[in-house]
Amino acid sequence: MAQQPAPPADAHAWASFEAEALPHVDGLFRLALWFERNRDEAEDLVQETMMQALQSFHRFKPGTNCRAWLVTILQHIRSNRRRARLRSPIVDDPNDRFANTIPFVAPVPETLTDEDVLSALSRIPVQFQEVIVLCDVEELTYKEIADALAIPLGTVMSRLHRGRASLRSELRPSTAALGARRTET
Amino acid sequence: MECRDVREMGDSFLAEELLTETNHEILRHLETCPMCRDELAARRRLRDGVRRAFQHASDLDPRPEFMAQLRASLQHESHHVPARRGIRFHAWWVVAATVLLALALGLAYRGRDWISATATLARAAVGDHRNCALQFRLAEQPISLEEAAQRYGAPYRVLEKLPPSDVTTAVGPAHVIERHSCVYGGRRFAHIVFEYRGERVSLLVTAAEGSSQLALPGEALPHVTSAGRIDGMTVVSFRASGQMVFFAGDVAQPDLMTLARAVAEPLYRELAGV
Repeated sequence: MAQQPAPPADAHAWASFEAEALPHVDGLFRLALWFERNRDEAEDLVQETMMQALQSFHRFKPGTNCRAWLVTILQHIRSNRRRARLRSPIVDDPNDRFANTIPFVAPVPETLTDEDVLSALSRIPVQFQEVIVLCDVEELTYKEIADALAIPLGTVMSRLHRGRASLRSELRPSTAALGARRTET
Repeated sequence: MECRDVREMGDSFLAEELLTETNHEILRHLETCPMCRDELAARRRLRDGVRRAFQHASDLDPRPEFMAQLRASLQHESHHVPARRGIRFHAWWVVAATVLLALALGLAYRGRDWISATATLARAAVGDHRNCALQFRLAEQPISLEEAAQRYGAPYRVLEKLPPSDVTTAVGPAHVIERHSCVYGGRRFAHIVFEYRGERVSLLVTAAEGSSQLALPGEALPHVTSAGRIDGMTVVSFRASGQMVFFAGDVAQPDLMTLARAVAEPLYRELAGV
């Protein structure tokens, strides 16, 4: 009699993981690539994230947000790698640097092109990018973002606030255009 | 509530992070304050712009080869996960793993397709929910499930009676207010609209091409899973034979899971039988 290729428990665990976690790989990769700016690094990061997720999938609570759970693992790995690279934790908090440098909230242009938005987003501090992308693109709750980034809820809110103000400032059409016009005249 | 409060809480308001009472206070303020209305509209425009730009950025797409390889590695690794708890690693596993990996790689391209296909179906389901159940702006007139069954097959007949018109769940009743078949984005759905938790929630069933490789033979119960939030809607789904069943609505994820689980089992059995 032919043997089953895997025990039923295996098959069921894989089916659950496949249904719950795999649909998020695409989004997870986009997130990783955005932050790492390096395709090889992003692939490696996603590979490790998914392997860890598979091994600890028994800890995932069905009915909760699997995407947030995966993002938390990914951020944890990123953070560890970054620490290992720099041999010290990242302590630079843009809240401090930017606290007094955004005096007003710039208007949002009526028409936003994808290129303008991504370009502006890439110019703001990475800690701001993280919360904005996790909130606006991944649609994680503030609590899920706080868990994923291992920062207090209040920090999530303040980074979002300052990050959005910073993004609006970067999107202001006048800065470059006025400069160019001044040069021309 | 004053303008300053609305500006401070505006982001949390848009992210649906505030208490219902606070939301109402903000809404009351917005009714009479065009400047705050403009400001929140600008913030929403920015949020939507970020989401859209990120999703459209094709240079962030993963390589199909990577997706295929990752899926194969994971599937291979899944056989090892329980063994690691108590059994020592054996060298012959390497050989077996290599063979499995080679086999899995061949199937993996199809797996990547399946992931994309499911995500596409989920987006289409949300689109149908929005355009049919909420905004009534479909390009093509819906038809009855009976007519759909005659034209397109037996699964539509199942949906004429299932789920029942009144469903009781642990968090409250769900009442069917509409059953029909409609088309969104070129895809035909059986569409059942519920009134549930004060919102309209859609149950959408559509053919899932190429899903046979993921069928779970012998599994008696549907595996209801969450797809998270898609275009502002909570989505959960399960697979039943050759059909994908989606639930979509602007309700909390646990509540939508509760409804899906309340109706899933008989639906799963009947759809599997056609």
